[in-house]
Amino acid sequence: MSNKTNLVKGYLLLFLVFMSALGYAQEKNVTGKVLSQDDNMGLPGVNILVKGTSIGGSTDMDGSYSITVPGNDAVLIFSYLGFFPQEITVGSKSTIDVVLAADSNELDEIVVVGYGAVKKSDITGSVSSVKAEELTAFPVLSAGQALQGRAAGVVVQSNNGGEPGAPISIKIRGNTSISASSAALVVVDGFVGATMPQSADIKSMEVLKDASATAIYGSRGANGVILVTTKKGRAGKMSIELNTSYSVQSVSNQLDLLDANQFAAYQTAINPSYVQGSANTDWQDLIYTGGAVSDTQLAFSGGTEDIDYYVSGNYFNQEGVVINSGYERFSFLSNLNAKISDKFKVGFNAVGSRNTKDGVSTQANTGGRGSGDVISIAYRFAPDLGVTDANGNYTFNSVGDDVDNPYAIAKESIDETVTDNYRANFYADYQIIEGLSFKTTFGFSTLNRTRGTFKPSTLITTAGAQGGIATIENTKMSDILSENYLTYNRELGKGNLTALLGYSYQKIKNERNGAGAQGFITNSVSYRNLGQGAVPLTPSSSLSETEIMSFFGRLNYDYNDKYLFTFTARQDGSSNFAKNEKYAFFPSGAFGWKISNEDFLRDNNTVSNLKLRLSYGVTGNPSIAPYQSLASFEDIYAVVGDETVGAVVPNQLSNPDLKWESSYQSNIGVDLGLFDSRIAISLDYYNIDTKDVILGDTSAPEYVGFLNSTALKNVGEINNKGFEITLTTRNFVKEDFTWTTDFNFSRNRNTVQKLIGGEDIFLDSAPGHFLQDETHILREGEAVGQFFGYEYRGVNQGGTLPEGTASFNNVPGEELFTDINDDGVITTDDRKIIGDPNQDWTFGFNNSFRYKDFDLGVFFQGAVGGDIFSYTFLELASGGSNATTEALNAWTPTNTNTNVPSAAVRGKRISSRFVYDGTYVRLKNLVLGYNLDASLIEKMGIQNLRLAISAQNLWTITDYPGTDPEASYQSSGAQNSNVNNGFEYGNYPNIKSVTFSLNFKF
Amino acid sequence: MKNFKYIFLMLTFLGVACSDLEEEPVGLLSPDGFFNSPADVQTAVNGAIGTMAEEGYWGRKLSLPIMLRSDMVTIADVGTAARRIDHNQFTVQADNGMITAFWPRSYQIIAATNEAIAGAADVNAPEAQLNAATAEAYFVRAFAYYNLVRLFGAVPYLDTPVSNIDEAAQISKTPETEVYANIISDLEYAKQWLPDTQPSTAKPTKATAAGYLASVYLTMGEYQKAYDEAKYIISNEGKFGLTLADDFQDLFNADKQSGLNEALFTLDFNGFRAGNYGQDYQAALTGIRGNEAGGIGGGWSVAAPTVEVYNTWDGRDYRKAVSLDTIGIFKGNVEPFINFPNFDSRNIASAYIAKYTRFPGLTSNGNGRGSSFNYAMMRYAEVLLIAAEALNEVTPGTTEADGYVNRVRARARNQAGTMSMYPLDVTAGLSKDAFRTMVLEERKWELAFEFKRWFDIKRRKMGDEVFGPSGLEPQPNFSAARDYYLPLPADELQRNPNLQPNNTGY
Repeated sequence: MSNKTNLVKGYLLLFLVFMSALGYAQEKNVTGKVLSQDDNMGLPGVNILVKGTSIGGSTDMDGSYSITVPGNDAVLIFSYLGFFPQEITVGSKSTIDVVLAADSNELDEIVVVGYGAVKKSDITGSVSSVKAEELTAFPVLSAGQALQGRAAGVVVQSNNGGEPGAPISIKIRGNTSISASSAALVVVDGFVGATMPQSADIKSMEVLKDASATAIYGSRGANGVILVTTKKGRAGKMSIELNTSYSVQSVSNQLDLLDANQFAAYQTAINPSYVQGSANTDWQDLIYTGGAVSDTQLAFSGGTEDIDYYVSGNYFNQEGVVINSGYERFSFLSNLNAKISDKFKVGFNAVGSRNTKDGVSTQANTGGRGSGDVISIAYRFAPDLGVTDANGNYTFNSVGDDVDNPYAIAKESIDETVTDNYRANFYADYQIIEGLSFKTTFGFSTLNRTRGTFKPSTLITTAGAQGGIATIENTKMSDILSENYLTYNRELGKGNLTALLGYSYQKIKNERNGAGAQGFITNSVSYRNLGQGAVPLTPSSSLSETEIMSFFGRLNYDYNDKYLFTFTARQDGSSNFAKNEKYAFFPSGAFGWKISNEDFLRDNNTVSNLKLRLSYGVTGNPSIAPYQSLASFEDIYAVVGDETVGAVVPNQLSNPDLKWESSYQSNIGVDLGLFDSRIAISLDYYNIDTKDVILGDTSAPEYVGFLNSTALKNVGEINNKGFEITLTTRNFVKEDFTWTTDFNFSRNRNTVQKLIGGEDIFLDSAPGHFLQDETHILREGEAVGQFFGYEYRGVNQGGTLPEGTASFNNVPGEELFTDINDDGVITTDDRKIIGDPNQDWTFGFNNSFRYKDFDLGVFFQGAVGGDIFSYTFLELASGGSNATTEALNAWTPTNTNTNVPSAAVRGKRISSRFVYDGTYVRLKNLVLGYNLDASLIEKMGIQNLRLAISAQNLWTITDYPGTDPEASYQSSGAQNSNVNNGFEYGNYPNIKSVTFSLNFKF
Repeated sequence: MKNFKYIFLMLTFLGVACSDLEEEPVGLLSPDGFFNSPADVQTAVNGAIGTMAEEGYWGRKLSLPIMLRSDMVTIADVGTAARRIDHNQFTVQADNGMITAFWPRSYQIIAATNEAIAGAADVNAPEAQLNAATAEAYFVRAFAYYNLVRLFGAVPYLDTPVSNIDEAAQISKTPETEVYANIISDLEYAKQWLPDTQPSTAKPTKATAAGYLASVYLTMGEYQKAYDEAKYIISNEGKFGLTLADDFQDLFNADKQSGLNEALFTLDFNGFRAGNYGQDYQAALTGIRGNEAGGIGGGWSVAAPTVEVYNTWDGRDYRKAVSLDTIGIFKGNVEPFINFPNFDSRNIASAYIAKYTRFPGLTSNGNGRGSSFNYAMMRYAEVLLIAAEALNEVTPGTTEADGYVNRVRARARNQAGTMSMYPLDVTAGLSKDAFRTMVLEERKWELAFEFKRWFDIKRRKMGDEVFGPSGLEPQPNFSAARDYYLPLPADELQRNPNLQPNNTGY
């Protein structure tokens, strides 16, 4: 290698000598170094040109250069592919160091697409790229979180506020299903369905949105695809990177609740014989604490011309803001690539991690006796009780259902999940003849998870009578993927043809087993000795396997660099498809027109890029679970003669015609670049008709006697349409100062088009102890998940009620509702749609400034529209609990001018009183960074040293009175994530953080 | 370098796999080829029995309404679910939540027996062995339809597995008399093929089938046949191993039940459960709130006898002491029932049902839920009382009929080993009417809270009397024209309009 370097240097020298020989008398020599702004590394091969002359040169392997210029008024132009060019007047200087900023919107940038890569300018579909530095702007557990607000059409939300390790949901272009998951497919380094790597290891992330881009993923493409490429080593000497950050975290918001005296007065108004307890406890203060995240990554990379490597290790540790909650992760990643010959390349990629999550119960699905989560209980628990009673036992609630106090639950219960995840991927790429190459990949991924829970008998209502309850559950998933494809590339006429043909086989296996016991002699063994429990709970185990076998192909033709054609197709055969519908075919086509390459625009100074994109295609949704279409018996628990015996009942008939759900998507897009791409705009409009949506048909009489009385049928239809705007402007590009703005905006409108027989489907997401069975609705012509209930009209003031209103018992002080059918009483017939949780539009807005060695980033993200239904506020207004300070203004015969009903125990009715506008704008990240001057640190052998302080979720503008407008109660799992939107109950609070970070590069 | 090509090629082939994409579920039970031996038939029968022991059937959804509709049990906690109160007060509507829960469970029991019976046709095994297993399915099917027909009258009747839902969705109700005829036919098959004895009372015997035939005929008013079936059992009690338990209390002690020979058929719980399977709620539903006795955390005070039950029951009858709890322990002190409401406003000042709360055995959940109690669906004492009642209708004034009642009473004199004078023997020579009244009263006390009373009230049309102002539990809403039948679930009539109209009054 060093020989080659010397050779290059030699030529360069020769070249410079030749150049200088041609020079004038006043000419002088300028030397310096060209660095990349990204990593302060020297950039080799940068073109240097003296403006207005043919004098030029380029940098060497270290980025150093030396050039002879005609005089002091000479202007040097530094240009490099993928970076903004810079012009510098030489003046009296003889040393000029230059820092080039990456131009990530460069149209020649290579974008990864399924089974290949294309130039950004050649893309015909709708693809958003997310920059690596956007993913590492602040510490996140999963790179998916960092995607929030960064790409148009992508909605990212935590399933549980700021809970350490909370799952996040990523949806692209809306809900395309009802019962099947709408979560985007994640593909990491070609592995379909992989776990997202940690963000510092990611080189690029592409979001494929339209059918032209996703149809190559066939039956799994309908929800959009996120393609992640991890970092590789670069030829050159080893570079070591150390990135470390530490965040101090706190709860972003608390509710204003009654204190002990106010609470006692409130309860006395409900029940005159209420006796006030002796304590005054702020339960929120007791369960919240200061949190912290420490995140450290160490990466080594480098290589020779034949072998390159990238190896990194990461340690992430979060102490939650709720006591006893936390998350810890170790992970590593290794990428090796070797060139065996000019034609033959192999590579190996390995990823592993261990995550440990200490959970506390939040967002519980019921809060009845002996259950519930620490957050909602902290709100509802009597503030006049202490943590322990006179006997030293933990208290339980004195009003409403018997629940243990939140401090005791958080402190005493154990919920620990340990997940090990490993993935290895091997590839070999062989060039058969010029233009034709064959690539085979073989990957294996495994995930092992153990979750143990223990509720000790000191939690009197939860596990007192049972003598402690312990469970342990093991899950094992394995995933084998083999993909083999030919790529062919040749010139054809005035154009260029690329063809892809491949075969893929994937096998996914899930195993699960669980056991539990209760009645423990001691609380000290946790879930680690189930045998010690007097009473075993029924054990369980299951196994499911899925095989997917596919052929896929793509044809790209680029005519005269003006007209682009893309055709893709995939045929998926899947074992979980029903007997008569084993194979599914998904075609797509797209057309791109580079208008700016036409003669009439070619030399236009204003329009530097103009492209039209049109696409149409069909993609599928993996909507059928393994074995779901088969006839089955179900084994049940049965006792004969006091002995547990084997027992089966008929569960369901076979459903041989059950099909996947198909999305028919069209997309029109325009890319416009103005003023040498200083302004770049992309506009996309799409329309997705999803057909064959699977719905449960309950029209069969129950006397047929199957345990599962719901037959699945492909009858529903859903439409999503919307548009997306992405705008990037480079407002200032100067040597000392740059200012870049990124803005993205998306609007999606979802409509349920067809349900079984046009009948509404009523759904229930309320916590179990609310005893509600209809809280939201699917109705033709409306978006999914409309809130359904009574329309609140204030307080019944007695006397003649306002026209068209009534209350349940017609008692003054009661809640007054709209009497829709005007029959003078309120019944279930007086309910209607009272809110729409679907956001009207979402946006992200980022400004980056760089002044000399300082940089500043301001990132806003938000959503407009989208109602929230708060079960928390409904519960706190129902009498059997503590209340918000709103209760101080409750209706009384002497305080009638109020919207708050009288203090009373009331049924927890779904009404518009608890529907709130969830619009918010959030300062998601504010970062100030300082890069130590290269000349200072170079002596210490450091290439780059960056210090930064940043703040996350510093500021939120919203009218929503709860703790966090990003509500997502009962929203995990396939069906729930589609239909349960905008509900809030006892979520883990959102977190504010201040982060200090340090990046070294050696 | 050339070798790479071959290695490469090999790798590719190793990676490429082919599959027919057929699913071969391991953990999933496929109906195809399931039935190969009598044991497989038994497994499907067990499915029916397991479903009976589910929350939606005997766990509480069926058993509680049967209790509440009688004059012996009323609602204690008036704040409990309306779907329960509606049965007690005869304000049931066609969407009642108890009915919509136990209706599908009833038919899941039936579907499991239909699978067992149809599956038996695929099994190649000795006739006696196979038919004994199949006969259990016939018995359980008859048992499920017997409950349905008494509650609803005409119902959809299916006796084969459903393979075409669209067809099955259009059938009409089978008339009440035809359902009874089918039940009798099933029980006759069972009587023919079931063995004389079984290792456990949870498995039906010849005597069980005969006992249910006697009960069915009694309900139909065919007294000679009822007597014949009961008499058949009594004459062969030794062969069937049936005797009355010595101590009445032991019948309701979960830890002693399995050693007794009185039950003809029990529904067993063993203190374990899986979700709602294997979990009964009787102890919780009938227990006193806040009662510390027994250490199960008290009950929910949903269903309790009116104080009139306590007042009218002869205090010298040992069965009263076994059946009722008149005291509870609160804050460490023994308190009489008059004080129960002082400790929780949801309690009433009345004696509470003790049969299920006193000795529930091992429990898998608080409040006595998921007990290890075995519920006797029919006891030998009932067979004796059926024989007495039926014989009186056919031939009044026999000493034989007196003798059957006296056997039951004699046992009740054993007060935990101490012999009492009470209850006294039947006065000899009662008139037909007086004997009938006496034997129905005897059933009321002997079988108190054992889910029999409502069906006695119905078959003897005693509603107007027992729910009248002088009854144990006046219920002004009771209507003889309507309330002897429940409504079929309203949504079921929507799914199959051929089931319309609903029963009178709904």
